[in-house]
Amino acid sequence: MSKDSVTITLTINGEEQQLIVLRNHSLLDVLRDKGYASVKRGCNVGDCGICTVLFDGHPLRSCLMRAVNAEGHAIVTLEGLGDGYRLHPIQQAFAETGGFQCGFCTPGMILTAKALLDRSPDPSEDEIREALGGVICRCTGYVRVVDAVQRAAAMLRGESLKSPIVMEQTLPEDIEKLELPEGFYRRDGSRAPLPPLVLTPVDMEKTQIVGKPEVKVDAVKLVRGRPVYTDDVRLDGMLYGELLASPHAHARIVSIDASQARKLTGVHAVLTHEDIPRVKYASGGQSYPQPPPFDQVCLDNKVRHEGDRVAVVAAETRELARKALRMIQVEYEMLPAVVDPEEAMQDGAPVIHDEPDTEGIYDTEHNIVHRIETEVGDVEAVFATAEYIFEGEYRTSKQQHAHLEPHACITYWDEDDRLVIRTSTQVPFHVRRMVAPLIGLPVKQIRVIKPRIGGGFGNKQEMILEDLCAHLTLATGRPVRMEYTRKQEFTSSRSRHPQIIRYKIAVNDGKIEAADLYLIGDTGAYGTHGLTVQMVGGFKGLTLYNPPNARFVCDVVYTNTPPSGAFRGYGSMQCQYGIEVLVDEIAEHLGLDVVKFKRNNWIKVGEPMHLAKQLGEGREGYDQAMETSGLVQCVAAGLKATDYYAKRQANQQQGDGPLRRGIGMSVMMHGSGIAGLDMAAATLKMNDDGSFNLLVGATDLGTGSDTILAQIAAEELSIPIEDLIVYSSDTDFTPFDKGAYASSTTYISGGAVRKAALKIKDQIRKHAATMLEIDEPESLVLQDRKVVARDGRSLTLAEVALSSLHQQNQHQIMTTASHLSYVSPPPVASQFTEVVVDVETGQITVERLLMAVDCGRVINPITAAGQVEGGLAQALGFAHCEEMVFDGEGHLTNPRLGPYRIYMANEMPAIDVIFVQTDEPTGPFGAKSVAEICMDGVAPALVSAVHDATGVWIRELPLTPERVWRALQEADLKYSC
Amino acid sequence: MMSTRKKDTVEVHEVEMEGAKRSLILGAQATLQAVYECPDCPEPVRQALSGWVSWQERVEITVERAIRSPKQAPQWVAALLALGAKVTFLEDEIDESGLVDYLARVNSKRGKLGGVRLPLEVSERVWGEAHVGRTPADEPIVAAIAVVDLDSNVVRRARLGLTGVWREAARLAEAAQMLVGGPLTEERIQPVITALDGEVDPKGDFLGSDTYRRAMAGVVARRALEDCMKGVSER
Repeated sequence: MSKDSVTITLTINGEEQQLIVLRNHSLLDVLRDKGYASVKRGCNVGDCGICTVLFDGHPLRSCLMRAVNAEGHAIVTLEGLGDGYRLHPIQQAFAETGGFQCGFCTPGMILTAKALLDRSPDPSEDEIREALGGVICRCTGYVRVVDAVQRAAAMLRGESLKSPIVMEQTLPEDIEKLELPEGFYRRDGSRAPLPPLVLTPVDMEKTQIVGKPEVKVDAVKLVRGRPVYTDDVRLDGMLYGELLASPHAHARIVSIDASQARKLTGVHAVLTHEDIPRVKYASGGQSYPQPPPFDQVCLDNKVRHEGDRVAVVAAETRELARKALRMIQVEYEMLPAVVDPEEAMQDGAPVIHDEPDTEGIYDTEHNIVHRIETEVGDVEAVFATAEYIFEGEYRTSKQQHAHLEPHACITYWDEDDRLVIRTSTQVPFHVRRMVAPLIGLPVKQIRVIKPRIGGGFGNKQEMILEDLCAHLTLATGRPVRMEYTRKQEFTSSRSRHPQIIRYKIAVNDGKIEAADLYLIGDTGAYGTHGLTVQMVGGFKGLTLYNPPNARFVCDVVYTNTPPSGAFRGYGSMQCQYGIEVLVDEIAEHLGLDVVKFKRNNWIKVGEPMHLAKQLGEGREGYDQAMETSGLVQCVAAGLKATDYYAKRQANQQQGDGPLRRGIGMSVMMHGSGIAGLDMAAATLKMNDDGSFNLLVGATDLGTGSDTILAQIAAEELSIPIEDLIVYSSDTDFTPFDKGAYASSTTYISGGAVRKAALKIKDQIRKHAATMLEIDEPESLVLQDRKVVARDGRSLTLAEVALSSLHQQNQHQIMTTASHLSYVSPPPVASQFTEVVVDVETGQITVERLLMAVDCGRVINPITAAGQVEGGLAQALGFAHCEEMVFDGEGHLTNPRLGPYRIYMANEMPAIDVIFVQTDEPTGPFGAKSVAEICMDGVAPALVSAVHDATGVWIRELPLTPERVWRALQEADLKYSC
Repeated sequence: MMSTRKKDTVEVHEVEMEGAKRSLILGAQATLQAVYECPDCPEPVRQALSGWVSWQERVEITVERAIRSPKQAPQWVAALLALGAKVTFLEDEIDESGLVDYLARVNSKRGKLGGVRLPLEVSERVWGEAHVGRTPADEPIVAAIAVVDLDSNVVRRARLGLTGVWREAARLAEAAQMLVGGPLTEERIQPVITALDGEVDPKGDFLGSDTYRRAMAGVVARRALEDCMKGVSER
């Protein structure tokens, strides 16, 4: 035992253990090294709380405690709850209520809940929220988490659970006659979790499995904290890879000396730009051919943002790898940095991509990577004669995804000398294709395995670590594991594009007849997703009101900031924020009821989307029209639930004290996959017992997509979803899927699953017909795990399976189906936001968020509600508090989750979800998408609410206290106390 | 009042009689959670430990750590300052000193902390708190906590603790002394706020510029003192 080690005795999950630990290792390090994989590393500095364990019964962040200080104490991890077979009631409640999504924070949440319920068996909702206030959840918005703890408390008290998990109601044909369940009026001002409300048209076809709140197929393993994520495995001989990230925003590497680092015993590889072939690529995980420019290489001789790649190391331990990083001598030639996109476009600005081998940059000298120009109709002609012309400029900031599982990757050679990449990715198939040329291996020699993902939100639609990790395995022959630190997540991964959004709108007789959008998209140091995010922004931002005359001009600009990338909302939320606020401003100027003005102008069923063909995603799109829309109903439901008009009236007479109430609303649309581009496939295979393997390349990053895909298959096959074994995804075993992005999984992957289910259903009927000696297989019906004939005879699916595999006309009942759609039907929604604004301080307190959304048919109301609730929480952060702030030299001033600020359970407003179902003819069972639309409306509704409260329009996000205060100061708002 | 009893315990808390008056002793190694749960904990202290200080943090941070590194829980330190907390020591040569003096010393000269002593029963005491932050549970950008002791409606002692407006994480404002000797009224609060503007020396950061912090110092200080006024009228 070295002098740095010490033996400690402690109790873990009731078992006394003696452990030899390093003095400087945290309790988190030791627990994970000993195989307690439920204890998760989210930030390592105490900001996120997901590493919480019970320490003598108290919740404690294991990342901050030295393991030596645990001597003599009792530790409980999630592995210690429940028994081998049964879930603990808290775990059960989390599973049943959807109290988790990606599951990465779930161990911390459940253990904190246990500590609370051990002390306080009947806690109030506020006590629950306060107790959970130390653990960040990025997925759920905490609604179902709080609900889960309330239900667990009731279960532990032995009380029966009366409140429903979902509320369903028929949608009246006359929407004005809609009456909501009492709770949705929130007359008591509470923020108690409400079940999602599903409003169904009377003539909508009934389903058995689809539409039900099925427990997620991955629930048990996630609430048990089983080792399901990338970094939860340890391979023999595995090395630790670490990245040397640039401390400078813009510099040339004059020299780099890794000799001292290489001499360290236990260091197996140090790679710099001198060691790796210079192969140009783009890191965005998109379909072939990827949009240009290919402006990156694995390791370069120039750094273009703080956090840019400089070198990588593989060593026997994490500490040794970090020591080696410190010994790499890098001489930088400092270059001026530019962090403002408008400055970056000026003559004489520092040229960020001055390398000669990048092709496809529109204007290198002015850092303009793309210029997009498109128009329908004749915008200038309408402006020339318009009754009114309105202009507005809106600005959005750089938001970080802050998924709690950092980027993580393990690479190794398998027994057939094929490179295996186990990685937390949303796009395993794109990664396989993209990484191949970078590491000099053919695609066939690469296998990408996607385990469970601890959140992604678009940031894992990038190839971030895979190429570097693979290079280290190629260099060493050993398995290598890499994982970003939280700081690297901020500076070395991706973030949301900040945008400057300038609209000019012509209004004639209350109709928006022309719109001109000029957009500056700040893509940061590299162009990944720069083109496509702005194209989506332009398309959605000009299609929500769909004027026949529309022009989109956009400059996508490099700056010396961490690259912007894919992020839930994908340009659409920024541009819809701009248009919605401007439309609100126009209505005020014209003295119109803003709701009526919007209703008069928003896109209607049957209308062609004028820019659909011009603005595809990175290429020309396809003509599309609006086929279904429940927007009228969504708005009506929101108006009713919030008593919008009465509150607006009351807010005009609320006096002039410092606290002002406001309510705002917005409408929005999104898409369902990328038309004519996104393709997914699914495989179904029948087993001896009549169960099925469902193999999908789709990637469930916590969204519940594995579950809803199973529900779609189960509905067609008339089986319970426990008869489906879902596996996703592995490029060796699952069929191709473009991956989880663009709100495509339900619509595109679900379409593939439904097709596969229909095909395998035909195979089953055909074989059963043979068994039953019936000539018309199509006359057979699948029902309750059986194949039933008209004459009443029936076969169980197990009998059919056994026959087909072992007895008669032997063959494997199995099929694969692919799906692509040339339309991307938009879900639509209304958003309502209620606030209190302190006009003396600029502080905004958000009291309620309500979204009524038409996402077609809701496949699973709990997972869909979870998507909306979590999305609203993220969108609230975007609008209100989250902002990556850079100094003039390009250094990020707040690269930690604490200073960055993500809403916590104890401050989250009431969040309510109403689904207005429609039947989209091209979607599986009528479904559209739901994952991203929830991002689009919070910002404009918040700005509108602040205006309602104060009379002031604030056009730059987020609405931090100082920004609001300054706006109010400029408006010289008078108040007295 | 100086205690002469040497404290070498690390108990969670202890309510100690000093003549007719009671004090709460917070042991140096007591956790903030123990303080939070202590039934005798003064409300300003408890409130400063809820919301923006998580349960986990309260479990992990000891009284000593929070005092030695006030950035861990600045509002809590401000509350202690406003309540006139004293610190006790384990060494023989120093028994007790004011928390203000303790925080002013450099680390090496602070001595081994024994605990924090809070007077519990002060007649005619009112207090108030105000803050501004990005979100309700985010650590405030600027916060103020005021504690005013009166004698027949005349201010006998006034302490105003502020965070976010000096280099120090938390500090008492001298300006509050202007309230002593008269009633607590709006007219007498305004000069305090004016004087405070000359006293604070904020350093701007991504949460708020120095201009904003300076402006907010006045707002939250006034609100905290107005809270105290309400307390007087409700007594």
